[in-house]
Amino acid sequence: MIRISGLSFKYDGGREEALKNIDITVCKGDFFGVIGSSGAGKTTLLHAINGIIPHHFHGDYYGSVEVNGLDTIDNKPEQLAGTVGSVRQDFESQMVSSVVEDEILFGLENFSVPRDEIEKRMTDALDKTGIRNLRERNIATLSGGQKQKVAISAIIALMPDVLVLDEPTGELDPQSSRQIFQLLGELNEKHGITIVVVEQKIMLLCEFARSLAVMDRGRVVLNGPVSEVLKSSREMESAGVNCPRVVTLADRLRNENLYMGPVPVNIPEAENMVRSTTL
Amino acid sequence: MGGFLDYSPGDSFLHRLNPLAKIFLSLMLSVSCFVTDSSIFCLMIILLNIAMAAVAGISSRALAMLRTLIKFCAFLFFIQVFFIREGNILLSLPFNVYVTDKGAMFSLMMVLRLIGATLPLALMLSITKMNDLSNVLVERVGIPYKYAFSLTTAIRFIPVFTAEMAGIMEAQTARGVAFDTKNIFKKIGLIFPLCVPLLITSVRKIEGAAISAELRGFNCRKRESGYKSYPFKTADIGVSIFALTLAVAGVFIPF
Repeated sequence: MIRISGLSFKYDGGREEALKNIDITVCKGDFFGVIGSSGAGKTTLLHAINGIIPHHFHGDYYGSVEVNGLDTIDNKPEQLAGTVGSVRQDFESQMVSSVVEDEILFGLENFSVPRDEIEKRMTDALDKTGIRNLRERNIATLSGGQKQKVAISAIIALMPDVLVLDEPTGELDPQSSRQIFQLLGELNEKHGITIVVVEQKIMLLCEFARSLAVMDRGRVVLNGPVSEVLKSSREMESAGVNCPRVVTLADRLRNENLYMGPVPVNIPEAENMVRSTTL
Repeated sequence: MGGFLDYSPGDSFLHRLNPLAKIFLSLMLSVSCFVTDSSIFCLMIILLNIAMAAVAGISSRALAMLRTLIKFCAFLFFIQVFFIREGNILLSLPFNVYVTDKGAMFSLMMVLRLIGATLPLALMLSITKMNDLSNVLVERVGIPYKYAFSLTTAIRFIPVFTAEMAGIMEAQTARGVAFDTKNIFKKIGLIFPLCVPLLITSVRKIEGAAISAELRGFNCRKRESGYKSYPFKTADIGVSIFALTLAVAGVFIPF
């Protein structure tokens, strides 16, 4: 479980607070999505969960963050690393090796995973992201999307309790993006890993996430189950989030009392909405 | 083909050698160039390097590296050759400038040594995974992991920064900066200001890598954490003896 209480943070030299009085609880096994416009504080929020804030990026810090009972002030990132796996937005800087295999091995060796288990974990991670054929490749020769998959593989091989990902599909095509979200969904459902993901592809996120937070200028303006948050399309738009058209349509139909069902987040649900609309 | 010092995957005899044996071989090849007074021996070492690159399947990269080194060394040669005034005059030029036999020989040896010493290290690093190198330094040499990792990361960042610089230059070229000028001083003048953005992005990358390493338990690492073991096999011993023999031969070679 992740418990964020009264968290405010201002970067050293920053003009205003990047996070303002955040209160969020992410239950164990939840799939939690975070959306918001640029500069809303999404990445800063993830940094507060994995301990980069306050241990690397210093500033005025108020409140507390606990991950599975570990306070992020008392525990350094390396102490949290066994619990929280992080895929950073700038995935290129996440690379510490020049070869794909070494990149996956890095974390596994650091945590002294038994030798006979390393091969299995590495193969599983590469298979899950569909890049087994790249195992011996030099990372510098890979495309942006392939590098992103390497970054994700390197983290999921560690099998952390909590996975925080900052725009994990930023460089991926639609098909690969869906593949990554399906993988995250599988990790969440089959292995009970708590997922916290910042993502700009809202429809895709809403299809897989169970809870959603919308951030605007350092504040959480909406937070709750995806279906509930999507009902507030106007608030989302005023927070600078481009609401999916199908959500806006559902909102308008609801305002006209033409549709009272759940907000659709995929094509079959949208189809049901159209079929059940009273005209 | 990857860039300078980028790892080149393969399964050649040289790829399979223990990283320590590879490094020892390259060091001994470099040493042999410095201890010998024979230009023919130096030339043979350079040819041996090219042959080794062919065995490792990176001959095109080795030749590209050799071409770059030759260009650089030609520049050094012409500077050096006019400064040595001892010996018999081979070529006399206006303004009391002349080339002597000693000057030509010294300059030739200097550039051959430079090429002979640079090529093997660069080639060996191209066929060695940095992770293997840092692990073997920890496991077999006993260097603390932090230092071994720092060393290999510094090597790994060389091609990263080269690519970064190329990216910055491409961006500037797209804005109309003509880096293809023949005037070397103008070229230096154009490249020099790019050091600032390169420095900023480099520092950012290093900081990012450090944070990411920590987020993946870098500080939890123990000496026995390595996945692979690096036994010193018969082939490694044979290559090491060969390398040592070359270095000793360099001292005593008569031609």
